[in-house]
Amino acid sequence: MNHPQIPQRQSAITRRAALKLAGGGLGSVALSAMLQAEQPAHHAAKAKSVIQIFCPGGMSHVDTFDYKPELAKRAGKPFDPDGKLQFFASKPGNCQPSFWKFRQHGESGLWVSGLFPKLATCIDDMAFVYSMHSKTALHGPGCFMMNTGFTQPGFPSMGSWVTYGLGSESQDLPSFVVLPDPRGLPPGGIINWGAGFLPAVHQATTLDAIDPQNPIVDLFPTGDAPNSSGPGASSGLDFLQQLNRRHLDQRRGNTDLEARIAAYELAARLQLSAPEAADVSSESLLTQQAFGIDDPDIGPFGRQCLLARRLVERGVRFVQIYCGAENTTAQKIRPNWDSHEDLPRDHGYWGRVLDTGASALLNDLKSRGLLDETLVMCTTEFGRQPAAQGARAAGRDHNGGAFTAWLAGGGVKGGVGYGATDDLGYQAAEHPTYSYDLHATALHLLGLNHEKLTYYHNGIQRRLTDVHGHVITELLI
Amino acid sequence: MCSVIATLLCGGVTHSATEISTETPTVNFERDVAPILEANCLRCHGSESPDGDFSLSTATSWRESGFVIPGKPEQSHLLMVVQPDGDEPPTMPKEGKHLTQSEVTILHRWILAGAEWPEAVTLRVRSKADSTWWSLQPVSQPVMPKTASTSNNPIDHFVRAKLDEKDLTPSPAADRRVLIRRLYFDLLGLPPTPEAVKEFVADSRPKAFEQLVDQLLASQHFGERWARHWLDIAHYADTHGFERDKLRDHAWPYRDYVIRSFNADKPYDQFLREQIAGDALDHPTDESIVATGFLAAGPWDFVGQVETKSPILRRAARALDLDDMLTQVMTSTVGMTANCARCHDHKLDPITQREYYQLAAVFAGVRRDNRDINPQRREHYEAEKTRLTSTVSQVAAQIGQLQGDGLDLADIVGGGNGFGTGKKGLGLDARTGKIQERPFGDLGNVKPGNFAACDSLLIDGVFVPASGQTRISSTGLIVNNLPANSGKAWDMIRHGPVSSQYSTTLGNIDYNSAGHSMIGLHANAGITFDLAAIRNAGNTRTALDVSTVEYRFSAVVGYGGRTVEPSAEFRVHLDGELKSTGRLGRNDTANISIEIPATSRFLTLISTDGGNGYGHDQISFGDPRLTISTPATINDDRQEQLARLEQKRASLEADLRSLGEPPEFYGVVSEAPPAVHILSRGNPEAPGDSVSPGTLGFGKADVQFGTNDMPDTSRRRALADWIASADNPLTRRVIVNRLWHWHFGTGLVNTPSDFGFGGGKPTHPELLDWLADELLRSGWSLKHIHRLIVTSQTYQQTSVPVVVNQKVDPAAVDDDNRLLWRMNSHRLEAEAVRDSVLAVSGKLNHEMFGPGYRDFDYKEAYAPIYTYQTADSPPLWRRSVYRFIVRTTPQQFMTALDCPDPANLTPQRNVTTTALQSLALYNNEFMLKQSRYFAERLQREDGSSVDDQIERAFQLALARSPDGTERELSRHAIAEHGLWQFCRTILNANEFVYID
Repeated sequence: MNHPQIPQRQSAITRRAALKLAGGGLGSVALSAMLQAEQPAHHAAKAKSVIQIFCPGGMSHVDTFDYKPELAKRAGKPFDPDGKLQFFASKPGNCQPSFWKFRQHGESGLWVSGLFPKLATCIDDMAFVYSMHSKTALHGPGCFMMNTGFTQPGFPSMGSWVTYGLGSESQDLPSFVVLPDPRGLPPGGIINWGAGFLPAVHQATTLDAIDPQNPIVDLFPTGDAPNSSGPGASSGLDFLQQLNRRHLDQRRGNTDLEARIAAYELAARLQLSAPEAADVSSESLLTQQAFGIDDPDIGPFGRQCLLARRLVERGVRFVQIYCGAENTTAQKIRPNWDSHEDLPRDHGYWGRVLDTGASALLNDLKSRGLLDETLVMCTTEFGRQPAAQGARAAGRDHNGGAFTAWLAGGGVKGGVGYGATDDLGYQAAEHPTYSYDLHATALHLLGLNHEKLTYYHNGIQRRLTDVHGHVITELLI
Repeated sequence: MCSVIATLLCGGVTHSATEISTETPTVNFERDVAPILEANCLRCHGSESPDGDFSLSTATSWRESGFVIPGKPEQSHLLMVVQPDGDEPPTMPKEGKHLTQSEVTILHRWILAGAEWPEAVTLRVRSKADSTWWSLQPVSQPVMPKTASTSNNPIDHFVRAKLDEKDLTPSPAADRRVLIRRLYFDLLGLPPTPEAVKEFVADSRPKAFEQLVDQLLASQHFGERWARHWLDIAHYADTHGFERDKLRDHAWPYRDYVIRSFNADKPYDQFLREQIAGDALDHPTDESIVATGFLAAGPWDFVGQVETKSPILRRAARALDLDDMLTQVMTSTVGMTANCARCHDHKLDPITQREYYQLAAVFAGVRRDNRDINPQRREHYEAEKTRLTSTVSQVAAQIGQLQGDGLDLADIVGGGNGFGTGKKGLGLDARTGKIQERPFGDLGNVKPGNFAACDSLLIDGVFVPASGQTRISSTGLIVNNLPANSGKAWDMIRHGPVSSQYSTTLGNIDYNSAGHSMIGLHANAGITFDLAAIRNAGNTRTALDVSTVEYRFSAVVGYGGRTVEPSAEFRVHLDGELKSTGRLGRNDTANISIEIPATSRFLTLISTDGGNGYGHDQISFGDPRLTISTPATINDDRQEQLARLEQKRASLEADLRSLGEPPEFYGVVSEAPPAVHILSRGNPEAPGDSVSPGTLGFGKADVQFGTNDMPDTSRRRALADWIASADNPLTRRVIVNRLWHWHFGTGLVNTPSDFGFGGGKPTHPELLDWLADELLRSGWSLKHIHRLIVTSQTYQQTSVPVVVNQKVDPAAVDDDNRLLWRMNSHRLEAEAVRDSVLAVSGKLNHEMFGPGYRDFDYKEAYAPIYTYQTADSPPLWRRSVYRFIVRTTPQQFMTALDCPDPANLTPQRNVTTTALQSLALYNNEFMLKQSRYFAERLQREDGSSVDDQIERAFQLALARSPDGTERELSRHAIAEHGLWQFCRTILNANEFVYID
């Protein structure tokens, strides 16, 4: 490791002070710094943007994509005859085969359970990592690990790293947008899409899919306050900028002040662009139906998937969608995939949600020719146990030892699988893979070398992949 | 591979090496060979998870590898791979430079000579920095350089000397308005009042600035400002973090401790000792004990450490917990990233993996938890409380008997006497009879048919019913033929609903509402009340003859779960005899009324699940009452007695209320430390050698750590002594550098928490040591250092670059201003922005200390829900340092202004400028409301003259008058958009949030 050169402050502005030398005048320096202007990639990119679907709670791999005939053969037999194992919340019950029947699909002949009839039709565009595992089987740390590469809180999320590495492609929209489940936050809360120790400019902007007129917090003032922009509208912003420019005149060369002037101008642009992007009413009825946006159960997630497509279309670099929540007081069914007592009920509900939204997203991107340049990823916290849990043997406990992630588009081969779990789906057996390889692969497709994307923090050049990670070349076109 | 061997055999190396070996003395392994292997091979082929399973770290491991054949260099694989193969470069090392010819020669000679490797010698990767690293050298006492500066402050001479080297000239002093604004924000985090500005500008005394400095250092707001800096590096917050981000209601005493310590200018060595081992000092005080809140300030994973049943997950969570604690202590106090040595020896600094685990052993006995500030006070409190409660309970029982009220069996389940002294929500474990408060699910280790006694005198005991024989009393009463059931048990027998209660409404009455009560009896469970004891307790002080008291037991029985069809069964037994039974679903209720003769001893209530094992099967007994069958008439005597008793009860209850619970705080609980092992690659499931407590290998040598017998407190005491010692080369350097960083925006070392190889080097090493030495000379007084820094000419320079009097272009020589040829301008931190808005609007609430203000709605849930609300009432207008900080749900307005995530240790804050920040300041409802209050203030204090209002607004917010153009623009803006819109603009101005 070279002796690191630590800038005075690693603010977004000073990091780009070099741009000053590249000419273009102060105004453009400040503005480009503000916008997180595009950064040169490490190598040629296949994907321009990422849509990441996150399924909190822990999706069962053995009921979805990871076909385990041996589990069916041992159905009802003790999973742990010696009684030595202790899962997150229970002792293992009997072997429990998939609650849905598996079938082969597409030309690739990959297996998908009956939980995902629509996604199964997209199988030849999807690539699976069957051998994912996690360093934890706890929800909070599990979410953190899959989003930030660390089980502890405080680290930047993948979207933050990507915008730190690549900047924004859009002039009018934030580069990293998150669409949380309207039912609530995922385990671990907002910091799942936080910037950690990276400058706050890299944190995700939350877009409210339910209120397209006011999709970003504080985008517009409440009450009778005049708007800060609007064509022709009398604007208090002029006065502010006049004061700021006079102040700057006496402090020439201060790019921080220049950037702050530009920030108010960008904010005004965002007031126009964000509601436009968030408004799905201009989409054709057919499209709206495909995403099921009017269905009371499927609708919220479908709308988010549709929004995600609209956002990447408009140059947003990284969109994260949550399929499930955590801290909500909803009573009826589990608010996410965490199916301890009734997996047919809870996976049944969420499976239908994911199946419709994600398949519509893949089909829609493909039909618009956007899939090639958009990497779609679907991840969860961890998998679930092949053994049954609960008095009715209808649930499954947490399993940090194995789960499945899938990718599509953006330079990923379709219809391929990588790695494997053991016969029962208890542990990743062939090519066991932590979040690191998945993250390294995604960064690679975006033109970033995960070992070079670093940021100094408290003594360490931090990376999304810690000191690990290999690009899974088997999945690349 | 064959071709490699061939090349080697035929090549010239063998020949020349043989020649050399005959001419030179034997190779010394440690002196000659080890450094080559350590520098080139060990990084990959070391002891921890060696690549290719080939380790060069010990004599045994390389011998086993077979890659070296003693005496036969030509056949030794090691030698083949480090040399070129024809035109192909050497295959090893894969990264870094190839071995030089002379290094290859040494290896060759060593193998030829028998490849001697002393067993005791273990090779390790060398860290980049060793014990000669600058920050590990003793603090020197530098001589002040002689410079052209006229200042009598040594700081200015140290700074000037460096400027002179680059031909740079200091900038002139800032004007007084700039200075007072700078100083107020720097020392207090608040804007100066217009009156204070006016007074200072007019003050012609030569020491006016120094006097202002003294005045501000003495202000109580100083501690509020500087505590926030320290809380950043303690990653303090008021919730636990992680998935179940629970409230940490008693964290704030530590925050107050920091404020008080800074205000009192507590000697810094004492400040550190208290925070690490304040409960282990020779004479601990309330204050020093609260100081240990420092160790507990970071996040804590409830699910990982408490909730999960998996021991593997628990160990992992605990390992991270200890890592967080020791990282915080070592980076904040001595600026060493010891945490980098958790998986392997530190690659940059001389810190071994063993030392990391020795430090972990220092904290191994520490658990984060609420604790009493003073245990004696707690004991006294508990004794008094028990005494008073029990007296109240007796009096209440007497009153109840006189009035003829029924005894409430639910109250008895809650630990009471049947007359309202029990605690609602309390539960009894049907397996053990123990009292539990928190909710439970599926219970393990259930033994149906087993009877367990309870602490309550009025309850004989509890049990989980077996389908066959079940013992239901302490006297050995047995019932047979109970309904078949699954033999499982869930949650507790509760005073109130059980944890999975679907509904508390039975029939049309909600028995969980005021005026009612209920026993939540989760299937499968039973409880037996001791009627004899109840008769005695209730009637001894009344005129009734206990032996003749007859009761009637009445209740409304219902089903509290979700299932509609009849699913759970209840039974009522009197002395073992079945009196009532039924099978109930969600829509069913049963009214029971059972006569209880004076001779009956045991009343038993049982709930069973009908054998289906549904987790939510449960029975509720609504208003379970024992009433005396023949209530006594109340005569005058009794009326009088009743009045006396009521009076007594009121007075006792007042005593109870005024007792005042002794203060608690969130700190550390000291326990017997478990053995600590070196964990291979940091993996808690791969423990290696056990280690005793210890610290890093520099500084004060005579700190005694001892063995594993050492109690927790002594371990922390020893570490505190090592850190807070004048001999520790880092402690003083680190803190004076932090102060410098917070005053100037950048430290002399620009990585305030990393003084190792990975961090920056000091721009002014002599000045750093001089300040560190000065700290010691002043008795570790931080205010002394503050005063020195802010009264320096260096600090008082203008921040606007003045290039005209420079010989060279400063931007070309020192664009980052590390040499301080001018002052740095700063943007205010999130807290200072918010506090300033409140100060300017006139709404700032100066109340100090105590529980933090909560600008959110809190909703209890498995993972609690925090929903922010607009801070629009005086209690929420306190200074931001008193904000109740939630980890998983950060306050977005503050985050937009770069308030850091308290999961992270934050020695220096990021400063970013974003559109979302502009939107927050311009549109957030808090800002809109405050703009209106600002406008109202102007109207109230400055009448209706627009010019007066404009003048005053500039003075309040910017500490100056507007110039003619600004006045004109302002008039225009007010005319067009109104006064409050003008105020909103001022609060958004660059000048408001940037300090020159």
